[in-house]
Amino acid sequence: MVLTIFALTIVTGCGGNQAGQGGQKAKIAYYAYNSEPVLDWDPSVEFSNGIVVMNNIYETLLRYDPAENKVIPVLATDYTKSPDGLTWTFHLRKGVKFHDGTEMKADAVKFSIERTKKLNKGAAYIWEPVQQINVKDDYTVEFKLSYAAPLDLIASCGYAAFIMSPKVANQPEDWFAKGNEAGTGPYKLQSTKKGEEVVLTRFDEYWRGWEGNHFDKVIIKKVPETASRRQLVEKGEADVTIELPYEDVEALKKNSNVEVLTAPAFQNLFFCLNTEKAPLNNKLVRQALSYAFPYDDVVKYAMGNYATQARGAIPYGHWGHGDNLFQYKHDLNKAKELLAQAGYPNGGFKLLLTYMSGDEAEKKTAELYKAELAKLNINLEVRGMPWESQWEMAKSKDPNQRQDILGMYWWVDYASPYSWLRSIFHSENDILFNLNYYKNPTFDKLIDEANAKSGIDRAGAEKMYIDAQKILVEDAPSIFAYDKKCVWIYNKHFKGLKSNAAYPNTIFFYDTYRE
Amino acid sequence: MRSFILKRLGLGVLVLLGVITVTFFITRVIPSDPAAQWVGPRATPQQIAAARVELGLDQPLYVQYGKYISQLVHGDLGKSLRSHQPVADELKSYLPATIELVVLSTIIALFLGIPLGVISAKRKDQLVDHFSRIFCVGAVSLPTFWVGLFLQLLFYRILGVLPLGDQLSTDVKLLYEIPHITGFLLFDSLVTGNLVVFKDALVHMILPGITIALYPLGLVARMTRSALLEILNEDYISAARSYGLPERLVLWKYALKNTLGPTATVVTLSIGYTLVNTFLIEAIFSWPGIGSYISAAVISLDYPAIMGVTIFSAIAYVILNMIADFIIALDPRVRA
Repeated sequence: MVLTIFALTIVTGCGGNQAGQGGQKAKIAYYAYNSEPVLDWDPSVEFSNGIVVMNNIYETLLRYDPAENKVIPVLATDYTKSPDGLTWTFHLRKGVKFHDGTEMKADAVKFSIERTKKLNKGAAYIWEPVQQINVKDDYTVEFKLSYAAPLDLIASCGYAAFIMSPKVANQPEDWFAKGNEAGTGPYKLQSTKKGEEVVLTRFDEYWRGWEGNHFDKVIIKKVPETASRRQLVEKGEADVTIELPYEDVEALKKNSNVEVLTAPAFQNLFFCLNTEKAPLNNKLVRQALSYAFPYDDVVKYAMGNYATQARGAIPYGHWGHGDNLFQYKHDLNKAKELLAQAGYPNGGFKLLLTYMSGDEAEKKTAELYKAELAKLNINLEVRGMPWESQWEMAKSKDPNQRQDILGMYWWVDYASPYSWLRSIFHSENDILFNLNYYKNPTFDKLIDEANAKSGIDRAGAEKMYIDAQKILVEDAPSIFAYDKKCVWIYNKHFKGLKSNAAYPNTIFFYDTYRE
Repeated sequence: MRSFILKRLGLGVLVLLGVITVTFFITRVIPSDPAAQWVGPRATPQQIAAARVELGLDQPLYVQYGKYISQLVHGDLGKSLRSHQPVADELKSYLPATIELVVLSTIIALFLGIPLGVISAKRKDQLVDHFSRIFCVGAVSLPTFWVGLFLQLLFYRILGVLPLGDQLSTDVKLLYEIPHITGFLLFDSLVTGNLVVFKDALVHMILPGITIALYPLGLVARMTRSALLEILNEDYISAARSYGLPERLVLWKYALKNTLGPTATVVTLSIGYTLVNTFLIEAIFSWPGIGSYISAAVISLDYPAIMGVTIFSAIAYVILNMIADFIIALDPRVRA
């Protein structure tokens, strides 16, 4: 068989120059991505992996840099807000062109946001506070809000905030799906193979120019197998990849051709507790479960130390993260004490935990937790389910039909603590993402007010968000497991890579180059 | 013969209808909320409610079923919940890569398997035959994904002579015009005289093609061997030999010809297996075919996509079975 392959190799004349093409490839960047690069090509709709591609083709008014905690001007040069935070005026950059040649003006901004709102799919909800958009002149656009929301953060969202050419209005419904785009970004779409790969090529008239050492072309390709991604980066065929098993990352650290960058990812893992069903409707039991969780072991064994124990609901590095919030530590004696107070001195109950099947880290976490709970004579049944199915189970109207504990990740949409606190812990009439079924009017009021305040006084709002998390930590509706870290594995010649947790897994390729 | 064909066709249609009905109801019974998927991972209740109406999920199940069947008759497989694109279009864009791989591996299996079987039969119980037996048992029983990973390790990582995966190398993809007529890359590049692309595409097919070919190869070799051994004992072979015909002619012409019936049947039926095997192997070779499509669809419970692939596979199976039946029926001994 080996001989046959050799024979075929010789017949087809492959000279073995597949890897490391060197000079010729110098201006091409290759991102080996773990999943489909784009699901929906409509920039108003895409709310998934596509963030990785879209942010190179389209631009937003502003961009948020969490490391510096500042908003960077992109299509808007600056903005002002009224003292009540209800009117925001953006001044647009002049001389910006869409890929179709149209100049970017205020009407394009109005059109784009209104289109996204009207389609009302994906992350369109971020624009909910916007009541009206007025074109003041060609380069000035005014947003009227129904309440003072942080519009600068919303306008820098990695989803649903893209500005597109108004000519899109004249196109048929499936125009985007057919591989078209209408952005202002540094790269244009050259070609795409549905769900598999995207090839971008530079847009010569990009407003920031091409004087520097930029890539001419970018390939973002789905390579689902971790072994393949690892080999591609090791061989230098791919420049950068993500989501390798932690064991592989450790091994790659020894490879002098490969660099590893770890950075905060605004993504964290919760275990939502069914607060409407005994025994978890008892706060003491929930606190006991929080003490029984083996945080350090989970971080070490399930996440290979590429995570940190969570502190409250807001991940590390995100504004609203409480550095001084109370943090439960693994303490079985304390857990026992609390269980005794709650009337379960010998444990003796069963709980069902569901997690998303296929997620190894969640699975390991659940198994580690099971072993700890067994020491308290609590029988934890661990069940892996597809996300859709476990979510459906959790949305059941009858508390007894639901699982007791549900593992769930949450990640940033636009950079506001409100996304976490409102979605996961605010009272809900129809169950959606508050899968703790937590209801606390004091908490609700606090975060709603903080949200309205965040448009005017961010420091004040931050304090309120931290206060709100104090209530959460006390009530323990969730076990705050860990904040994930983003791990980039890249070729040492690939330079300029910056991790921006507000745009998960996204590389702004214009800033990168090869040395 | 005509009534035989009609009966087979009728049965095929019934099987298909059965498969469609069962998959339809299974996908609807599995707990999930297609409307929530349609609007995205963080949908608001209003968005979900609107999607429910848009997708017709507010209708009773039997109405949805009727609608699905009537759409199906018009070649409409519905829209993917994840990409919002017609499933039929997506299948069309993913299928050629898979079919090309299946065809290539079947050709490899035949061109290597038949001679291997003949040689083993001729040298029965000699060293060559023993080696061939070990090889065939291995080919049929080794897990295909393991073989794929092993070949990658050897030919990409250690020897560096063959690419890791994908249909084309990055620079060819960027520097050359990729022809698109039928979607079958090898065919398209060949007819347009695009030899660089053709060569590159062929090189990329070697490893996945051989990995997938192993199972049918082993099967064909063993089948040819045993059929040949049986035939070599027949009277007419002895007669041919006694006439003094060269052994080569006896073996490769008179005997082999009569093994082709059973071999063809085995090959036809194993193509079905190969197809499903290809689905699995595509992930390892980053092959942009139906396999990567269905795995993504299953993980996210994108049921229109799952149904689309199921229906395609069912049709393929039904057709292949029919072909196998016809081949058998062509043998006068069966027909009589």
